[in-house]
Amino acid sequence: MTNLATGVWYAIAADHDLVDGHVYRTVLGGHELAVWRAQSGTVQVWDDRCPHRGVRFSLGEVVGDDLRCQYHAWRFGPTGACTFIPAQPQMKVPGTIRARTWPVAQSGGLVWTGIDPAGPVPDLPPGTVARAIPIARPAAEVAAALVALEGLAPVVQPLDAGTTMVRAIATDGDVPRADRVLVALRRRLESAV
Amino acid sequence: MARFARTIAHTPGCPKKRNRAAAKTRWTLRRGGLATAAMTAIDPIVWNDWHPVAARCTLDPARAHTTVLLNQPLTIAIDGAGTITARRDDGGALHQDERYGLVWVCLGTPDRPVLVIAEADEPDRPAVVVGAVAVRAAGPRVIENFLDLGHLGYVHAGYLGDDPHTRVLPYSVAALPQGGIIATGCRMYQPQASPAATEGFDVEYVYKVERALITCLYKSNPLHRDRFDVIYLFVQPVTETTSVAHPLLLCLPDGTTPQGLRAFQQTIFLQDKPILENQRPARLPLADGADTPIAADKSSVAYRRWLSAIGLTWGVIPAPAKAARAA
Amino acid sequence: MILYDAHHLPECYAVRLFAALVGAPLTLVPVDVYPGHEHRSDDFLARNPLGTLPVLVDGDTVWTDWQEMLAALALRHDAAWFPAHDPALIGWLGMARDLAASLGLARLIDTFGAPGDAAAARAHADVLLDEIERRRWFGERAGKVWVMPQAHPTIADVAVFVFIALCEDAGLSLRDRPALRRWIDRVRFAPGFIAMSGVFPPMANVTR
Ligand code: FES
Ligand SMILES: [Fe+2]
Repeated sequence: MTNLATGVWYAIAADHDLVDGHVYRTVLGGHELAVWRAQSGTVQVWDDRCPHRGVRFSLGEVVGDDLRCQYHAWRFGPTGACTFIPAQPQMKVPGTIRARTWPVAQSGGLVWTGIDPAGPVPDLPPGTVARAIPIARPAAEVAAALVALEGLAPVVQPLDAGTTMVRAIATDGDVPRADRVLVALRRRLESAV
Repeated sequence: MARFARTIAHTPGCPKKRNRAAAKTRWTLRRGGLATAAMTAIDPIVWNDWHPVAARCTLDPARAHTTVLLNQPLTIAIDGAGTITARRDDGGALHQDERYGLVWVCLGTPDRPVLVIAEADEPDRPAVVVGAVAVRAAGPRVIENFLDLGHLGYVHAGYLGDDPHTRVLPYSVAALPQGGIIATGCRMYQPQASPAATEGFDVEYVYKVERALITCLYKSNPLHRDRFDVIYLFVQPVTETTSVAHPLLLCLPDGTTPQGLRAFQQTIFLQDKPILENQRPARLPLADGADTPIAADKSSVAYRRWLSAIGLTWGVIPAPAKAARAA
Repeated sequence: MILYDAHHLPECYAVRLFAALVGAPLTLVPVDVYPGHEHRSDDFLARNPLGTLPVLVDGDTVWTDWQEMLAALALRHDAAWFPAHDPALIGWLGMARDLAASLGLARLIDTFGAPGDAAAARAHADVLLDEIERRRWFGERAGKVWVMPQAHPTIADVAVFVFIALCEDAGLSLRDRPALRRWIDRVRFAPGFIAMSGVFPPMANVTR
């Protein structure tokens, strides 16, 4: 687990990553996350772990405004509260059964979260969100290498201690070029080990 | 395409042909040249117990079988005469036995024999070895999943349960006199309880955990509704978070071929596999409150508490001392 | 038509799945490949000297190549799945064979104890998954829902799906391959979809 700075917003997904019925999966500083959009439109960032028996929520499905776990089909609503337990359908679900939720912000085509993030989400220049590229190097090293890239406004998501996701805004809108640049950077950093 | 192209000197139905004399011989100790003191760091509960490491029917004289037991690489060879020899790759000592078509190994000092299964001696129940399946999950997680009723209607939908018959009716859990737990009075509507079932019916189950990594169930047979099919699941602990499942079927004759029984059981286990491989944390947490059990999860709670009571540390996150209670 | 089938092999699943998608009835004859080695029996080798599964039989016609089976079923039931005029189809079906030899092999080694070099197979599969993820991501951006440019899904989707959907059995993860995860869900939600063990069917009562 990396040290995740508190008070900081991290971009963990692009808006286009969230499609109907689907649970997007990622990890932030060693914290596995399940990200999904309820039918009502609100974006949810949760611990990727069902409180019942620990199965990754990202194995499950979005049904209307609920996320349904794949193991025993418990349903959880957008506040994280468990709403239905099919093994005991008559039982009133105790309010204590909840998914662990994370703060969410949407800005610049990206979904942001963090540990007690403070203040506004970082401002990014206008442009198009390029494809996120995972690089098997620590975040600090990746961030240092990104400074030199022209036409790209990158944001870095530490996955775990040795892996980093790079998301970039292609300020000129040339997403294929941004992709080639980031993939080449990945090759360079990973082969320099 | 199928890549199991190696030839094999045994018939497909080999579990049946294993002679009963072999089961009666005492297990053998194979002395190695090296000291084993370094291994004592491993939980003595699993270190001194017997574990399956291979099925006779999948051993091939032309190619030794390699596997790992409790972090120790093993090689298991069979010669043309059918003699099986298990060795530790580091030359350390081990004990070897053969029961129920499976090769069993104890790396420490066995304080009891391989589990005796009374039903294996009933003449109308051929033992069918299902075929080992490796799973990236801790052994105790594999056992807990086997005991679980609430997932049958989802993970095994269309076979062992179906929406909306997903309610788990109350059942009883008790301690076994020799250690372990038993769950009785479990009932579940099953659309296809076994390959021979032609219609859904209310299936009655009894579950037992007799050793930390051995579990079994007794379930109603669609033809012999007064007797039970018996299904064992032996878990070979590979590392703390990886295992090999060795299911064994002791089913009553109902016209299903051994091939059909195997395919059915493999289908079921392979449905559980992605669940097991996506449970976090990888090791089973034993502390009360680590997860959120409900009444339907009684057997899971009892299993975890029993593991705490016997002090198992392999493949689990032990409960803080105050949470561990006597059985 | 009769399909000689091993429930755990992706190549067999491809034919079962595609038959379900186009509504072709199949009679399944299970072959106990693991652990029974029935595919090495005289009977089976007489049917298919290659000793591979699946085998599809229709009267006097016998198919032993799973991709050829997909094409044959498409031609018979719904040719929209088989855009033979598009050279990209050759590329995708070749990709599926490469996945069989890498991801599929690593899965058999890791999960069923088959002989071979799992690490090498996995490394090859990793490269393929990265490339398919890249193509899928740009495909999505261009409004292409399936692996081929056609608006209709093709046998190429089925051929690569059966391997990628089982990649965890091979020790490979889709965590950082989001476009592949979305496409897998799209296939799962296709009308007529059937699962195999290791692939989750769409959950019951889903309103979508
Ligand atoms: S683990 Fe999620 S519902 Fe049981
Ligand atoms: Fe199960």
